[in-house]
Formats: sequence, structure tokens, C-alpha cells
Amino acid sequence: MTTISSPLRATAPAPPPPSPTRPRRARRGTPRQWLRDGGLSTLVIALPMILVFGVFSWFPIGRALVMSVQETNLVTAPVFVGLDNFVFVLQDPLLGKAVRNTLWFALLALVFGYPLPLAAAVLMSEVRKMRGLFSALAYLPVVVPPVVAVLLWKFFYDASDTGVFNTIAGWVGLGPYPWLQDATSAMPSLVLEATWAAAGGTVIIYLAALVGVRTELYEAAEVDGAGVWRKIWHVTLPQLRGVLFITLILQVIGTAQVFLEPFLFTGGGPNNATLTVLMLIYDYAFGSSLGGNYGAATALSLMLAGVLAVLSAVYFRVTRPWSS
Amino acid sequence: MKSAQKRAAIALVGVLSVAVTLTACGSSEEPAAEPTGPVTIEVAIDAGLEPEAISAFEERILQFEEVNPDIQVATKEFTWSGTTFAAELAGGTLPDVFPIPFTDGRALIEREQIADISELVAELPYADQFNPTIAEAGQDTDGGMWAVPISAYNQGLHYNRALFEEAGLDPDNPPATWDEVREAAKVIADKTGQAGYAHMTQSNTGGWILTTETYALGGRVVEGEGEEATATVDNDATAQALEMLREMRWEDNSMGASFLYDWSTINQDFAAGKIGMYVSGGANYPNLFTQNQMNPDEYGVTVLPLEGDDAGTLGGGTLAAVSSAASEAEQAAAVKWIDFYYISKLTDQEAAVAEAEIAARTDQPVGAPALPIFDQATYEQQQSWIKDLVNVPLENFAPMTEQMFDQPVIPEPSVATQEVYAALDPVVQAVLTDEDADIDALLADAQTQVQGLLDRS
Amino acid sequence: MAANTRTPALARRRATRPERPERGIVSSHDRRRPSVRGSLGVLQGGLLVTLVVVGLGPILWLAKAAVTPTQETLRDPLGLFPTGIDWANLATAWTRAEIDHYFVNTLIIAVGAWFFQILVATTGGYVLSVLRPRYGNVIFGLVLATLFVPSVVLLVPLYLTILDLPIVHVSLLNTFWAVWLPMGASAFNVLLVKRFFDGLPREIFEAARVDGAGPFRLLWSIVLPMSRPILGVVSVFAVIAAWKDYLWPLLVLPDPAHQPLSVRLPAIAPYLELDVFLAALAISTVLPIALFLAFQRLFLSGAGLGGAVKG
Repeated sequence: MTTISSPLRATAPAPPPPSPTRPRRARRGTPRQWLRDGGLSTLVIALPMILVFGVFSWFPIGRALVMSVQETNLVTAPVFVGLDNFVFVLQDPLLGKAVRNTLWFALLALVFGYPLPLAAAVLMSEVRKMRGLFSALAYLPVVVPPVVAVLLWKFFYDASDTGVFNTIAGWVGLGPYPWLQDATSAMPSLVLEATWAAAGGTVIIYLAALVGVRTELYEAAEVDGAGVWRKIWHVTLPQLRGVLFITLILQVIGTAQVFLEPFLFTGGGPNNATLTVLMLIYDYAFGSSLGGNYGAATALSLMLAGVLAVLSAVYFRVTRPWSS
Repeated sequence: MKSAQKRAAIALVGVLSVAVTLTACGSSEEPAAEPTGPVTIEVAIDAGLEPEAISAFEERILQFEEVNPDIQVATKEFTWSGTTFAAELAGGTLPDVFPIPFTDGRALIEREQIADISELVAELPYADQFNPTIAEAGQDTDGGMWAVPISAYNQGLHYNRALFEEAGLDPDNPPATWDEVREAAKVIADKTGQAGYAHMTQSNTGGWILTTETYALGGRVVEGEGEEATATVDNDATAQALEMLREMRWEDNSMGASFLYDWSTINQDFAAGKIGMYVSGGANYPNLFTQNQMNPDEYGVTVLPLEGDDAGTLGGGTLAAVSSAASEAEQAAAVKWIDFYYISKLTDQEAAVAEAEIAARTDQPVGAPALPIFDQATYEQQQSWIKDLVNVPLENFAPMTEQMFDQPVIPEPSVATQEVYAALDPVVQAVLTDEDADIDALLADAQTQVQGLLDRS
Repeated sequence: MAANTRTPALARRRATRPERPERGIVSSHDRRRPSVRGSLGVLQGGLLVTLVVVGLGPILWLAKAAVTPTQETLRDPLGLFPTGIDWANLATAWTRAEIDHYFVNTLIIAVGAWFFQILVATTGGYVLSVLRPRYGNVIFGLVLATLFVPSVVLLVPLYLTILDLPIVHVSLLNTFWAVWLPMGASAFNVLLVKRFFDGLPREIFEAARVDGAGPFRLLWSIVLPMSRPILGVVSVFAVIAAWKDYLWPLLVLPDPAHQPLSVRLPAIAPYLELDVFLAALAISTVLPIALFLAFQRLFLSGAGLGGAVKG
């Protein structure tokens, strides 16, 4: 984000500590004193943040905690039901399936979306000319609106032998494949599209990190007679460890909440093979025309959030040394 | 500051809505005999209509306003959808008059989430002439009609006449048994390369069609009503239907390559000539014709083959309901609109002809058969009024119309209908996408799940 | 809302990165060796071809299919050139499929979401960084805490909040407010802007105060003009995020008259002829791609991280 930092760095090489000449306004005083110090104006300026966060973030978060122990429909007053919602969710045979599917999605996403961007980034970092073109091409799919990408790929995935991908497969004597129309191949098909849509971003992250690799180590390795592969293995990758770990966690957090692809590609089918946790939450809450099981939906989302919070905490721990 | 304006705007919206709510609450007293002063109602118009259909609708509104000078009619795009209906109901964003499927009527009435218009409906001249099985969908337990049936369908076997001919089959002589369905599907798939028989599987439609097939083979997925409803998903007829699907899919390979169809996508592929036969509501024709531009000459429909004791055709339909937020005057106006727009074209010669003329002029289908909501005589009389305006190939409907009145119509499961269907979707998907699917095990699981759904509701 | 998947930390890290090094993994000595040079060239050439096919290919295919008649797309989906270009597809999609209407809705949503994100982030960052009232730390803590709450937790309770706002009891369903306001509650934006303000020289603020500038004037005339770069970043990503959003507008805008392209495209797909549908998809892709080409450096400098992981 050099665009942000350049003016900042130009005008303020080091952010100065709060000026000692600045009057301390945080004084215990009368309301009149508060007013004279501009307390009201401050409050007015803070109001958009307080209102928007209050109503659309803090309040719903609190409400989630309450709703998870209530039976809430839109007709009658909410009733306290203790942990019934959690029990209901944990006893739902679909939960196990959704968790397994979500993990499967995450695993496949790692298999497809982890090594390839890394290899591409390493290769691109060695490009002397037209690096911008390389990155732009890699990033282009990220810019395509996700819904458009899914609908387009849904057409590509047409399972008849005249489908786009099946035609291509036919050129080399393969297929036709059922793609989305089969319980086994549906999930990999979703992940393939999701990887296509997201890999460009990962490439850009790796590229940025590769720039920061300490080059004197390459020279040291060369003195030891290391070839290209050994340099990558012993110098490049170890230095990328931090960023590799971060993309790993980010990817897991992202894939744990996957919704768009299964919802639009397969509706969770065939035979629930692509039903993910977030889709199950959606089904609980919005699957019935006569009012959803909002308690169960919130209970499940809190459980998912618990898992993600652990990951987020790990993530923030790892990144903190850099941000302070 | 801009933000101040925005906040003021929010506050203003708030005040207005509160005012509206207060008005709505304040007027829930005895029904006034006649609405005093002009009243405006918002009525549902199907989403995604072609401009011609919209202008036809607007023409009807003008006619209505001429007869009822006190009533102003505004339109609001609304197509019932399972995922958003509950929210629109709770959020109060429904129009004053809106259609709902038969399957939701009972539950909405029980919870009083739609307006009680039964006294207003009782005054309509045809109030006691509804086909009793159909009227039930919109009645409370005492027989008061809260929601008016406006159309009904029975399931039918739709087929593509062009594909039949291409495959060397006689389109005037469609399959009459399920064995013949299977044979025809195989011939179509072998000769034309298209799907011989396709099946909906998504968004509760898989369960809907599986239930239809179960009924046609003499089974039921739920027995009993209300508190006593028990799941009977694990029955021979359902197993037989699934076995038939398995054979067509995996032995005959006659079901094509797409197994994630819902109602609109299967219609799209059928209209595009990719499907030989499929089961769906008998009243699909307008959708195929207006929204999917199917060539009418290629369209054919027949009744479902019924086999076994107790076999029947699944039937359902649409009710017109009035928003519970509507004031007395708005309710009265809403019932007048329902009478004018939805019903009079079925019971009144002048209205029937007027409606048909507009439809014919704007290239909407006229004369496509549907299940009568009154008796067969009323229906046939109505068809005779408009017979000069009919613009659909009636002879293509003959296999259906010549037999449909002889078939028993069985209503959909009355409790948690959509949830039961949803639970059956994966069963159909499993059979169609997994060669080794264990039908007995699938049905046993679904049985437990459906019973759980029934117990909870 | 998926703020936890974004990484202020990474962005900061790159802010302090060294200039691009003179060399990479392959030393300049190695580069002079024909075998290394050759295989590197082959690998990079292969990568370029792959990127063109995989990255650009589907988009070019869409562009072609948008002006190709349906039957031709079906018969020969991979034909390189259409036999006849059918510009009418685009016009039909624009008018008959009412893409114009949904395009405008998408713009309205994007602009409104942009406005509220900027409003909340600048005023919030300003209060927390410059004005620093006593309650500031509490609020900052609460804002930061929301970073740890994944958006999935908010889905249902926020939806019910939209149906019935606390205190005023108004439903925002089927209004653009239902999309605009929740998007304003982005802790990531507040954090980003606050950090930027933290780095601005205090002396200028003091000088302005001595000259009698009140807090509003200070914000409007001094702080905001100095913050163009950060506002640019927040703006571009606010617009992109609004353009991409699907599940939330799907829930809170059930009325088709208010829906953006992302929600409308899947719904109208079954009713459109294939060529018109593909034209509609192409139209929806044009603006994001134009934004990308215009602000390429911004995206590729790593700020696009938010889009890298979907959440």
C-alpha cells in the first residue's frame, strides 16, 4: 500500500507523540466545561460511527447471543429454551455432513489454491520485463463479480458432451465428465471455480512478500554452491513462512464461510454433497416460507464463530509483530 | 451536514412507518358496510413479465377503476418465493393482495398472518360453489374462507411432440403406463440424444415430483392430518418410483446429463427441446410459452399414468390472500379486486371474454386447460365463452383434457409441506447421481427425518 | 463485514518494505548461462500463456459469446470468431431484460455504501485519532472487537434488526438503507483511517486550533484534504465490495425493483435466451474491470487483499 504511506512518510518520518502543548481535555468537569471544550461537537462527529456500529454491529452481536438460547419466530414472542437450539443443531444429521463438506472444500481449496499461486509468484518474481502484465493477468479473475463468475462457469460445466469443458476434454480424448451433476465431482468443480476466482489475490500477496526476501542470503547460498531449487527450498520458502501461514489461515477462515458457490452452482446438491455450514445456517433461517428456525441458525453460527475466533486469534498473534 | 440530512431522512421514514402502523391498528374494528372515500390498494403483479403482459395487466386495472371509482389500484412486482416470503410477511412489505400456494394457506390462517376476509368472501355470489377439496386450502377449521382459490393445477406428463416424432413415436398417443414412459424415454434418448425423461430435484421440487409419482403409484408420503400426521415416506410406491428412476438413469441412460433442475430451469430446457418428457403442474403452459418462447406446436401434455389401488394425481394451486396490515376499507377493496381480476373471468361471460380478448391481443395464451376451481360444468361453460379467442393448439392438450376429469385428485401433504418436500430432494438427487445409492436406506432415513418435521410443526 | 479476513498488518508491512532488490533467486551470473536462461524463458513463457488462457480466456470468451447468436454458442462453444456479430444481444439485455434498471440499482447501492463507509470511517477515525474524547478508548475497543466476529454471526440477527429496527421499530426491508448502513459498520475501514490520521503531524492541528478552527472545520479543511490517498483506497474497495455482495442484498431486497445485478442475474437466468443472458453477464463485468484497469496499481500493490479471500 505504498500509495498510502508515501505522503505519510514524506511529511512525518516518525509519528510524533501527542504534543505536550495540547491541552488535556479529558478533565473531570461540569457539563458546561465539557461543552466549552467542544465535547458536544466531538459527540456529534462520533455519532455516525456510534449509531452505525451500535445498530448494525454491536446490537446484532448481542442479539445473536440472546437468540441462540431463545426460540424466535416472527410471529410469537421469543421464549427462553436454554441450550435446546444447540442440542437441535448438534443432533441434526445434516450438521456432520455440512462440517465434513466444509472441511473437504477447505482442504481442496488448499490443494488447488496453495501451491500453484506460490509457484506462479516465484516464477513471476524472476520476470524482468512486463511484470505488471503478468500480475494484471493473474489478478483479472478476482475482479470479475463472483456471481457472474459462477454463472459463467455453470455454463462451462454443462455435463452434456457439448458442454464447454467437456468439448475441451474431448479434444484430448477425455470425458464427458458429469462435473456438478455427480456427488463426487461436484465439490472439486466448485473449488476449481473458487480457486480460479481467488488465486490472483494470493499471487499478489506472495509477490509482495517475495520482494522482501533478504537477497544477501541467496549470495551466501551460492557461495555454498546451491542451485536454483535449493535456493528456493532453503532460502525463499523459509523467509515466506510468515506470509504462507497467514494466507493459510485467511483461506481457512474464508472457506469456512463459503456460500456463494454451493448456493448458486448446486443448491447444496447432489444429495447434500456440497451442503456447507453456512448453507445449513441459511437453510435453518430462510429455508421455509413460513418462518425460519432463527434460534438454530444463530446457535450454529456462534459455534462456527467460536472455531473461527481461535483462528483469528492465531492470525492476529502472528501479525502483531508487524503492525506495531 | 449531509449526515444530518440522512439521519433526518431515516427519522422521517420512521415516523411515517409508525403512522402507517398506527392507522393499521386503529382500524381493526367492525367491518364498515361501504368504504367511505377513496382507497388505494397495492396488488401483486408477477415479476419478470414481458411488456405486453404488463400492459394487459394495466388495462385490467383501468377497467376495474372504472367500475370502482373509489378504488385506486397500484401494482407491486411480487412472485411468491419460499425463501423470502416469511421475511416479506414479517417485514410488512407484501402488497395488499398477493398469491400464495395451497401448501401455505392453512398455516398462515392458523397463525392469523393474513387478513380474515371470510365475511367479505361469503357475500360473493359463488362463495359456496367452490370445489370442496380445493376450497379447503383457503379455509379455517370452521370453514371460513380467508384466502380465495384462484387457480388449481393437477400434475401432468409434459412431452415434446417434435422429439417424439424425431424418435419415431406417435405424439398423439403418449405413454399411458409407467412402463411405456420408460420405453419412450429410452427411444427418445437413443434416437435424438436428448434426455428422454427429466426430473426436477432442487428447491423442494424433487420432493414435489417424487410425491406426485408416489401418488400415481398408489402411495402416500404423509398419512393423516394435523396432530395425527405420520410420515409414510418409506412405502412401496415411493420405492417403486425411485427404482424406476434408477433404472432409467443407470440402465437405460435415458435421463440426460442434468440432475439439478428446479421448476424454472427444467421449463427452460424443455422449451429449448432438450427434454422429451417431464412431470410438472398441468398449468405450466403459460410459463413455457410466454417466458420461454416454446413453439406451441411442439408442446404436448397428458395425464399421469395411474397404477395400483388408491392411485391419484397430485393437485395444488394458488390462493389469493390479503395482507393482515390492510385496513377494513382496503380489505373490502382487495376482495373486489380478487373477484374482478382472478375470479370473474371464470364465472362471468363478459369478464371472461374481455380478459381473453386482452390476452389474445397481447399474445398471451388463451384457453390452456387448468383444473377447475368450481365444478366441471362451470369450467366447460367458461371455455365455451372464449372458444373463438383460443390461441393455443387445443388438440395438443387433448390427451390431458379428455382424461383429467376421470382422475382422482389428491391434495398435497397438509403439514409442513415444503419441509417434507425439501427432505425428499436429496433422496431423488442421490438416486440420480449415485449409481450405488441404496434406495431402502435412503427412504428409511427420509422417513425418520420427515417424522421429525411433522412432530415439530 | 468480513473484516476479519482483511489484513491491515500486511498492508503496513509492505509500507516499510525496501526498494525492489537488484536481484532475485536466479543470480545475474546464472542468468548469463544459456541453459538457465533458456529454461527460465520457457517456464515464464509457459506461465504467460497459461495466465492468458486461464485469466483472460474466460473473460474474452464471455465478450465473444455476448455478441454471438445462441445457436452458434451452443453448437460451437469454442469457435474463435462468431460468423455474425449480433450486437442486438447487448441492446436486448439492456432494455428487454431490464439490465439497465438493475445496473442503476447496483450503482445506487455502491454509491450509498461508499458514502456511508467514508462517512463512518472518516468521522470515526477523526474522533478516535484526533479529538480523542474520554470514551474514545472504549469505542475503539468495541470497534476492534467486531473484527473478531465473523460476518456469519451477524447474518440472522442483523437481518431481524433490519426487519424491525430497535427503538424506532421501522423495517428497512426493500430499502437501500438495509444495504448501505450495515456496510458502513466496517471496523477495518475505521482502523485503516485512524492509523492514517495517527500519522498526520499534530503541529498542523494545533496551529489550526490556535487560529480558531473548530473540530468540524479542522476535519473538513485540514484533515480530509490531507487524506486523499487513504480515502481513495477505502473508496475503491467500498465500491468493489458493494458490487460483489450477493447474500445480504438477496435477503434484504426481496423486491426485484430494488435488486442489484448480482442478485438479479441468477434469478432471471432461466427466463433469458442464452445469448441475451451472456450479454447481461458481460455488461455486469464491464465496470469492475474498468475500475481495475484504472486503479491497477492500487489493486496490485496488495491492497486488493480483501478480495483475495472470499468471506
